Amino acid sequence: MRFLDRAPRFLFFTGKGGVGKTSVACATAVDLAARGRRVLLVSTDPASNVGQVFDVTVGNTVTEITAVPGLDALEIDPEAAADAYRERIIGPVRGLLPEVELAGIAESLSGSCTTEIASFDEFTELLTDEAAYAGYDHIVFDTAPTGHTIRLLQLPGSWTEFLATGGDASCLGPLSGLDKHRATYAAAVAALTDPTRTRLILVARPQTSSLEEAARTLGELSAIGMTDSRMVVNGVLPEAAGEEPLAVAVRERESAALAAMPATLAVLPRDVIGLTAHNIVGVDALRALFAPPAADAAADSSEDVEIADADLGVLVDAIESDGHGLVMFMGKGGVGKTTVAASVAVALAARGHDVLLTTTDPAAHLTATLDGGIGDLTVSRIDPVTALEQYRAHVMETKGAGLDEDGRTALAEDLMSPCTEEVAVFQQFSHVVHQSRRRFVIVDTAPTGHTLLLLDATGSYHREIARQMGESGFGFTTPLMRLQDPAQTKVVIVTLAETTPVLEAAALQGDLERAGIHPWAWVVNNSIAASRPSSPFLRARARSEASQFERVRGYADRLAVVPLMAAEPIGVPRLLALGGVPQPT
Amino acid sequence: MTAIRIYEAALCCDTGVCGVDVDEALVTITADVRRLQELGVDISRHNLANDPVAFTTDETVRGFMHTVGSKGLPLTIADGVTIAAGGYPTRELLLEVAGVGAPPPAPDGRTELGLSGAASSGCCGGSGCC
Repeated sequence: MRFLDRAPRFLFFTGKGGVGKTSVACATAVDLAARGRRVLLVSTDPASNVGQVFDVTVGNTVTEITAVPGLDALEIDPEAAADAYRERIIGPVRGLLPEVELAGIAESLSGSCTTEIASFDEFTELLTDEAAYAGYDHIVFDTAPTGHTIRLLQLPGSWTEFLATGGDASCLGPLSGLDKHRATYAAAVAALTDPTRTRLILVARPQTSSLEEAARTLGELSAIGMTDSRMVVNGVLPEAAGEEPLAVAVRERESAALAAMPATLAVLPRDVIGLTAHNIVGVDALRALFAPPAADAAADSSEDVEIADADLGVLVDAIESDGHGLVMFMGKGGVGKTTVAASVAVALAARGHDVLLTTTDPAAHLTATLDGGIGDLTVSRIDPVTALEQYRAHVMETKGAGLDEDGRTALAEDLMSPCTEEVAVFQQFSHVVHQSRRRFVIVDTAPTGHTLLLLDATGSYHREIARQMGESGFGFTTPLMRLQDPAQTKVVIVTLAETTPVLEAAALQGDLERAGIHPWAWVVNNSIAASRPSSPFLRARARSEASQFERVRGYADRLAVVPLMAAEPIGVPRLLALGGVPQPT
Repeated sequence: MTAIRIYEAALCCDTGVCGVDVDEALVTITADVRRLQELGVDISRHNLANDPVAFTTDETVRGFMHTVGSKGLPLTIADGVTIAAGGYPTRELLLEVAGVGAPPPAPDGRTELGLSGAASSGCCGGSGCC
């Protein structure tokens, strides 16, 4: 593996959930330990399964991995770190302020920024305390902080002001509950941005969306000064998957995605790791991960899994029975919510309904083929990047006009916070939401519960929405009230039959439930089991999905499964096929 | 010297400039406070989301939180006397209370807001800050 050549002391792995960061980080730790180095493996992944991989209980204290001499591990639970942080803020005033106020403060501190800053705070010592961790030659992190977090720690003006007056930028607020000295953060950032000490390893799947995500992360982190970056493409379909149409099609898709990867990634030193038939558990599997692929003896006598769950058509039936309404598809990037949303929209239109599909599909290739292609289907596209740029530019021009240079810098950083994009996009969506009283409105994104709770408290916005929705007279419906009403809105969570995506989807559901919204259905997309493969390799992969289906059934009121398709679902006929509507011959 | 304290609702950001609609009043007050500090005035802001203790140490503020609550914020207090509630004071009022001489000319294009602008607390989306 080229990314291990002359490895510096700190290795950070980054990539979206489900790309296999943890497996690659664990395998890296094992590899380095085998070379006689002392290694500490640190997980800050909320879905950390480092303990499962090594079959030991790892907690928030350094734990020896006895199976691998020279390796210790540590799991930092970001949620626990955020809880502890919230308690530091709220604890002193409990009983002194009304309960309802305490709840409001807790909600304000429940976004991902608090979580991220709190985790970063937890591991700053690892980067700065030379004495305590001097025994380790390498410290391997299975996640990397975002550019936003690091920039906040770098903001020079804000820090000074923050110390003087209590903060200035969006996420520096949360920092006030941290008790470390500014010098510690400065030293941590210095270590991160020093290529002799830190290397960033971008992990991606051989898929367009995953590669684009990696390019975005690379751009953000190189902008703040992390200069030594490497690329790992994980989960490439191996020869062992055979030559059945599904395998051939997946291979072609992967090659095309890799050939078209963003130029910034293409120039990085790259390693490719093949997809394995089984989930990576145990030291032997980790050692094998970086080895050249052996002829995978995936054939075993276990029974194939039968996925008896409904297809999308069943969800379409249920949505149709209400005659109109808003359906929001929600899920992390890369799970295919855009495709699933388009498929449902096309199926409803094919049944003669008036449908508006609002999509954030960044590649117009999916939706461009739909306009005018079928019945009463209207497609409106919202480009999140454009929406965000317009929003930021608008704020800087209008609100930032009277500010001095420092003020404009702080305002610009506030507008770089991850929440801004969601808000900018949601604002655009809000214009179409009111149409769902007369027709079907299908939306391929949804705000999180945290956003909704905070939006609900905003006077100006909420009045504006009320006006747009044409509510009048006594009281009005806020976006939250509309979304909470199952008669008006159905939220569908889209995920994949893999460990991390399922955990992330469950977290999305929990977050929505905090806002009083209960997801109506789940969709498991790209299931290998549902596509009934024939090669032993793919059948083994299919069997490994079974436990994920079990977990999803525990969360979902309704479940539909979409098979991994040989042909990419683009255009009306293929989308209809996905939605369980027989294709017109 | 007069001590001016502004108590604000739980904005995820201290400046509150990262919500659905950036509240003009928040941007204005941020600039106003900065200006007064430059003039040497003892003025500071306390945000409920990260400095709730400040809301319990001042008797006036604590009483306000129990009778009105955060929906009545912002609350501005000068030496124990409430000078504005439910909206931000103007720069002119702040300068007057602080006993600073003639107000400097306002920068072009600045909107003067009365005491009616309710504090927005929109902020921080789901993947966002706080």
